[in-house]
Amino acid sequence: MTETKHLLNRLPNDIGGLPADPIQRTEHELEPWEKRCHALADVLDFHKIINTEEKRRGVEALGAEMVGKLSYYERWIAAFANILFQKAILTPGELARKMDEVGARWELDNAERTS
Amino acid sequence: MSDHDHQHPHAEIVHAERPGYYDIMETAVRELLIEKHLFGPEEIRRQIEVLDSRTPALGAKVVARAWIDPEFRSRLLADGRAGCEELGITFYDDTQLIVLENTDAVHNLIVCTLCSCYPRPVLGLPPDWYKLKAYRSRAVYEPRAVLAEFGTHIPDDVEVRVSDSTAIVRYLVLPKRPDGTEHYSEEQLAALVTRDAMIGVVPVTIGSGQ
Repeated sequence: MTETKHLLNRLPNDIGGLPADPIQRTEHELEPWEKRCHALADVLDFHKIINTEEKRRGVEALGAEMVGKLSYYERWIAAFANILFQKAILTPGELARKMDEVGARWELDNAERTS
Repeated sequence: MSDHDHQHPHAEIVHAERPGYYDIMETAVRELLIEKHLFGPEEIRRQIEVLDSRTPALGAKVVARAWIDPEFRSRLLADGRAGCEELGITFYDDTQLIVLENTDAVHNLIVCTLCSCYPRPVLGLPPDWYKLKAYRSRAVYEPRAVLAEFGTHIPDDVEVRVSDSTAIVRYLVLPKRPDGTEHYSEEQLAALVTRDAMIGVVPVTIGSGQ
């Protein structure tokens, strides 16, 4: 069963020393929600709700597929939601209802803007 | 942001596109935590202002001062955070800062193999390439090849040291002062110092600068 050993030796974040492609010198200005997400991370840290290392482990706990497919701040907000569920600060149902509310609020605002 | 003057009083329409799933998730998480009084809405706004205020110009100021003031340089190398704080740069997080000095014998490079730890209080947010797999994977085992991709060729007799950042310990490279800048003012020196030079992927040259 040694063909799965590497899965135990290296978690998804642990990529130092692995072969990889040439550096693409990509940069982008953060989108507004990405900057808010970064500020949220800092505020969660200041209040000792989620610290940097918990955030990193939370991203790792998303698993290799999500770490590979989600963008940087998508991983952060997904990790925050999971950590807040684990700490019983939020429940999944509560978040789902709030997301519906936020989406519906945008639809309403947009209808007013375009009417 | 609008780049023209609105003649009419209503709020400008920033985007008519429906926010994405993760954008909505961020808003929902934030609003729920505010409703539960875990923090106030003004804290997010204030932190966005703090993030916007942090740019590589702060790090450049630290580097220029270290070049012209040997006593400051010694204090900075002994305690990076205290040295930056001396120049009025506050640390909004619990991180420590180690300043790594480039010399004729040693070239330093910083990376965060596990994620994206970076000296944000003095440089702002990292570039995307710093957070992506290629740089994080390769910087630690073939730094000279990585540097070459940035156009930086380090002679074989100069040691390349790679420092891997952690959640609580961050690094800043103090680049070598370029030759021919003996008559430069502190401000002129600071203008030569780029973000990438303080990550260690390029040197500071007379032609460089923001």
